[in-house]
Amino acid sequence: MLRRGELNKTSGARHKQSELTGVKGPLDTSSSTQEKPLLELHGLSTGYGETQVLWDISLHVMHGEVVALVGANGAGKSTLLNTISGLLQSWEGTIVFAGRDITRYRAERIAKLGLVQVPQGRRLFGGLTIEENLRLGAYTNRAGSARAIAADLERVYMLLPKLCERRKQLTHSLSGGEQQMCAIARGLMARPNLLLIDELSLGLAPNIVDDLLTAIDNIHRQEKMSFLLVEQDVQIALERAHRAYVLEGGHIVLSGPATDLLKSEKIRIAYLGA
Amino acid sequence: MAFGQILVNWLLLGSLYGAVALGVSLVWGIMNIVNLAHGAFVILGAYAAFWMYTQLHIDPYISIPLTMAFLFIIGWIVQYTLINRVIRAPFLVTFLLTFGLDLLIIDLVQQIFTSDLRSVNTIYAGSGLDIGSTHIAFDRLIAAAIAIVLTAALNYFLTHTREGNAILATGMDRDAARLMGINIRNTYALTFAIGAALAGAAGAMLAELYPFNPSNGDAFKLRAFAIVILGGLGSPWGALAGGLVFGLVETVVPLIPGVGPGYDDAIAFAVLVAVLIFRPDGLLGKPFYR
Repeated sequence: MLRRGELNKTSGARHKQSELTGVKGPLDTSSSTQEKPLLELHGLSTGYGETQVLWDISLHVMHGEVVALVGANGAGKSTLLNTISGLLQSWEGTIVFAGRDITRYRAERIAKLGLVQVPQGRRLFGGLTIEENLRLGAYTNRAGSARAIAADLERVYMLLPKLCERRKQLTHSLSGGEQQMCAIARGLMARPNLLLIDELSLGLAPNIVDDLLTAIDNIHRQEKMSFLLVEQDVQIALERAHRAYVLEGGHIVLSGPATDLLKSEKIRIAYLGA
Repeated sequence: MAFGQILVNWLLLGSLYGAVALGVSLVWGIMNIVNLAHGAFVILGAYAAFWMYTQLHIDPYISIPLTMAFLFIIGWIVQYTLINRVIRAPFLVTFLLTFGLDLLIIDLVQQIFTSDLRSVNTIYAGSGLDIGSTHIAFDRLIAAAIAIVLTAALNYFLTHTREGNAILATGMDRDAARLMGINIRNTYALTFAIGAALAGAAGAMLAELYPFNPSNGDAFKLRAFAIVILGGLGSPWGALAGGLVFGLVETVVPLIPGVGPGYDDAIAFAVLVAVLIFRPDGLLGKPFYR
């Protein structure tokens, strides 16, 4: 099932349903029947100044799908997310989200469309309280009204009760796990169609990572939201995702169903140390 | 001089200083934009109030909303069309740009109004409350009240409104703010416009209280920056606190036997140096705002 450089085959947006249904991961509740991908990257390359970081990246995320993007430190994962989010301009290639070409959109406009990023290192507004951070998450007002935002807030608190206990606490005084919780909750407050989460597990204890992933499981099940998880911890990512892409030195070198990648000799040796 | 009078003079001068520094506290302390044209905005406010007083016979305090609206528009245009272009450039570029703007505005004001000393003489100038031997001038009392109202209003706006929170968020982490869907160009323009409007309000108060000419802006600019550092970056109440400390030094120092007037500036800035050494975040500053 493993294919090298899937980018050559993604054109035409025809993705076999079996790719999804064949997966027996813990998140396998998706019953997406949509034909067109929610997010589709085609031949994307970018970098900083003169330095190219990404070459010819093509990937897609279907409605209701959980996709992992894994790779070592410095492979270009965060650069890719920032390009999708519009913080960084692409040099070449196209990004299509929900049928709209967003390649040249500014970051704030992309967030308004429901393509939301939980950035690496949390990037909370440290001088503001949890609740203020969460309300800023709803800044685009995709919920539609103050009442809907208040309801979203209650829902997020229900999902992550610890945040409710500390709603008036400044976020710079929270522990790493609580900050990550708040960052994800802030992303959810935006009512995303697709949530990009950059390095959810970084610097957190395994039991906290489990809690967060369970919360994401629940959201995925209830909301039919799509996720693109960027992870250094390949094991965690592949256990949770339907499909995965492996990024190495700015190129996508492998892609396919997560279960297949988990079994793959190459992955086991390079990333799982077994 | 009686103790009560010194206290009153101090509080009134201090809160006025707070008003002058309030805009800098917002634009620099929270948004990290150094605006060297702040003094020019204060002067512009003073002349706007003066013009409305002489031409339309509106009291400077009554016309404050108009003065603020005028400066708000100028501030918006300056940020949106000029400073936004260099917002990612090294901060010296903004420094130079606003320095040039300062010269331009002051020279324009001088062209229009000449460099004569101007003053506004209201009918209630000189009258006030007398409590024992302590005289509280009405015009200064009103200025102090306006300063406190503006500080409270700015604080409320920043902490309790959606756009106010967007300003704080943009000041803390520009890229994270963009990921929230905040249009940072508009947020910068709004911040700068509010800062200019506050400078305008301070200018209107100065016009009411002191004679002024176009070159007065520099003294206020220098003081405004010192006051903001003294009070602490990122907090509107810090501007007021810094203003009060600065006002205290300027009120009390000339009264010290053997010192007399002339040293107040030197000592006020010495206090600033001392605060920077012993409490670098200022009196009410919040280090994480930077």
